[in-house]
Amino acid sequence: MVQEAGTPPIGSAGAAAGPTATGPTAMDRVDGVLEGLWHLLTSMRVAMIIMLLIAVMGVIGSMVIQMPSGVSDDPAARIDWLNGVRPRFSLFAAQTDIMSSLQLFEVFNSIIFRILVALLTVSLVACSLHRIPGLIRTATKPRVDVGAAFFQHAPQHETIVARQTPAETRALVAGVLQRRGYRTLVTEDETIHVYGDRFRWMQFAGLIGHLSLVVIMAGAILGGIAGYRDQDFSIAEGATRLVGTNEGLSVQLVDFTVTYDQVTDMPSDYASSVVLLKDGKEIDRHVVRVNDPLRYGDLTFYQASYGSAAQMTIKDASGKVLTSEGVPFSWSLNDGDRSLGILSVPGTSYTLWIIGTSGDSDTRVHPGQVEVQVFNSGAASMTPIDDQVIDQGKAATVAGMTMTFDRESQYTRLSVARDPGVVLVWLGSLLLFVGFALRFMLPHKRVWGRITTRANGAIVAMATLAQKDAAISTDFEDLVNDIRTALQAPVQA
Amino acid sequence: MEKLSGYAFVAAMLSTGLATIAYLAYAISGLRAARMQTAGMPSTTGALGFVSGPRTAAIGRYATMLGWMATIFLLAGLIFRSIVAGRGPFANMYEFSLAFAFGVLVTYMFFERRYHQRILALVALPVAGAMMVYAFTIPATIEPLVPALQNNLLLTVHVAVAIVAYGSFAVAFAASLLYLLQGRWALVAAGMLIAGIVMAPVGLVMGGITGLLGGLLGGGVGGAISGYIAHWAGLGKSFEGEASGRWGLPKPQVLDEIGYRAVVVGYPFLTLTIILGAVWADTAWGTYWSWDPKETASFVTWLIYGTYLHARVVRGWRGDRAAWLLVLGFVATLFTYFGNLFFGGLHSYSGLG
Ligand code: HEM
Repeated sequence: MVQEAGTPPIGSAGAAAGPTATGPTAMDRVDGVLEGLWHLLTSMRVAMIIMLLIAVMGVIGSMVIQMPSGVSDDPAARIDWLNGVRPRFSLFAAQTDIMSSLQLFEVFNSIIFRILVALLTVSLVACSLHRIPGLIRTATKPRVDVGAAFFQHAPQHETIVARQTPAETRALVAGVLQRRGYRTLVTEDETIHVYGDRFRWMQFAGLIGHLSLVVIMAGAILGGIAGYRDQDFSIAEGATRLVGTNEGLSVQLVDFTVTYDQVTDMPSDYASSVVLLKDGKEIDRHVVRVNDPLRYGDLTFYQASYGSAAQMTIKDASGKVLTSEGVPFSWSLNDGDRSLGILSVPGTSYTLWIIGTSGDSDTRVHPGQVEVQVFNSGAASMTPIDDQVIDQGKAATVAGMTMTFDRESQYTRLSVARDPGVVLVWLGSLLLFVGFALRFMLPHKRVWGRITTRANGAIVAMATLAQKDAAISTDFEDLVNDIRTALQAPVQA
Repeated sequence: MEKLSGYAFVAAMLSTGLATIAYLAYAISGLRAARMQTAGMPSTTGALGFVSGPRTAAIGRYATMLGWMATIFLLAGLIFRSIVAGRGPFANMYEFSLAFAFGVLVTYMFFERRYHQRILALVALPVAGAMMVYAFTIPATIEPLVPALQNNLLLTVHVAVAIVAYGSFAVAFAASLLYLLQGRWALVAAGMLIAGIVMAPVGLVMGGITGLLGGLLGGGVGGAISGYIAHWAGLGKSFEGEASGRWGLPKPQVLDEIGYRAVVVGYPFLTLTIILGAVWADTAWGTYWSWDPKETASFVTWLIYGTYLHARVVRGWRGDRAAWLLVLGFVATLFTYFGNLFFGGLHSYSGLG
């Protein structure tokens, strides 16, 4: 080992025991790998390939129907959903399953997609870090005295012969540059070097534009980790429902109205009139509409959809009312026609499935009736302990309880969301737009000039790194024209 | 007033048709001048490579006038309709198609003023015309907004910004198509055809009706790849760097440059469209992004043009490959625009059920 005995490097307590992989050659190899990795991550070609691959994933994701969020995490719902789409993908027997195992129904949650986005993020950061030193250097310490060869090889270059002395020429050239908004720097040895730039800080606008994407991504991740979202918060009219955030908040739906347009018969407004309660006490009232959510602190309630509900009253054997509330028909049975509402009866272990009619042709549940299936959640069995069809307005005894289907009402489905990441998303979006817009509108420009003496006057060479534009005259061409004009003006007597 | 807007739309459509004919006459006149020039007859070659004969310029001026007329009629129609409806004309596919056509016309006219390349009209005007014809085949009733769209300011800005982006991309597409047409077009056409034929059944397997769009997209990708292979293998004669265009068309570098300028205009607008869409989704539904197909398609479009900008600015891609990315980008733009007809999702407001 090459290390000196008295100064063991940190963390290598066991290293003295024998030869290890931390020898210089291995380190070199690690260095080489890291360097290669860095090179890969800052490579424009790799970044472009990643962007196009993400685009390909996007195309797949918009062509193949995607699982709704929530379904993918729930194994049972997942199987149901896959069975539902199976008929659409039946070219060969296993098509759906193969597509499912390739994660084609959840492209934006798929492993490949995550990897690609992570790679892009890392590449964005690497790229930006890589560029910062250079950007700072060109903004603060630009190279003024470039060599003569540059003025022959730059993408755009021009030579002007002046009658003025080099010093006069220098003043005129600098004057033109300044009039056109350029900052000018001049150094002098046997020749005069002139440098001009505009919008030198706008390079950083491009950098900010890139990094803003990382900010947006951070916001999305934060929202995913620390946010709360319940897209299926259904409440029937008259009912009160606890919000799942464990803050003692609940929402009562006073009533729900749909307004239809008189001409087209299309819904023109949905309005859920709600009361927000904390620990049972009213703290706010609001009519929630599609573009007008209810906000409480950082929690927001949006109007999502609506449907019909069954108003049920349930009493125990002694006649005590266990519950009287609307049950939203927010599910549907596997046959697809009958709607289903689920109610767990307070103070008991019973769960009720309330099944609605599918219409006039329904021979089992007629209009004006509901079917009630009672499950005992304590029991392992999946078969109902009682199952009856009951008429509206008539009390019936089901599983020892007295149940009445009072009337049909409506329910509203709200979407409850808390998203602490959203601030970052908007901040990132703002920076993204402003960054790139500035970068496009006020592009960083640089020109170099070189003034040399000739017999009775001076020679000005001008050059820039910007490409020539085939379609319109470039700034550089305009600038050179201005300098020509200035140099041709009659010399002051 | 509703009638008036209808008349304005018809007038706009007629003017677009006439303008297209005039631009065609202009192009033919230029082509003849180009032939005569090779035969030694008097004519002039402009700085940008377009050859013109004695009458060409006059025809060109008429074409431009007709183009402006079409733009103004369309604008008038859209304004009248907004007044009747009491909101921006952006609620259903009919209105949105006319707005799209307006976007294409306006950006085209803007680029014509700036770059004096009337030939681009041969692609841009038919795109606008097709949008108008399409609008006339679908119901034109003025409908109230469905609740999700009842946010006037956001809706108006979101769509108005989108239209500028789409219009710019149409101009970029026109430039890239004229560019490619001068090159290895036979190979390219064959590539698109083959890719389309291969892709359509694949699309059908994966998503039924969207197979059609899949085929289209596949055609674009396939054409891009075959064009690229042709480029890489050195098949056919390269014309990059030629001093004047073929068949009286503009110089390749000019078309390349215009394509880039158009994307530079369109890209920030597309970015803004997506951001405003997210803001809106957040106020209406409480999620700023839900990978709804239309959102996804606009994101894909954004990535493609982003790649184009890097390719051109950082890696110095010019010519064939850059032009192909622009074609691909415009296919994605159309995919974004027509997407909601096929996909449903949150954007299923087209009114075409
Ligand atoms: C989704 C991701 C990205 C987007 C939307 C994006 C967007 C842009 C845009 C709009 C420009 C300006 C082009 C022009 O001037 O015409 C640009 C330039 C540039 N990009 Fe990106 N970019 C992304 C990712 C990356 C990555 C990963 C890298 C690094 C490998 C990178 C490196 C650069 C460089 C070096 C420039 C030129 C200098 C500058 O404009 O500041 N970009 N990018």
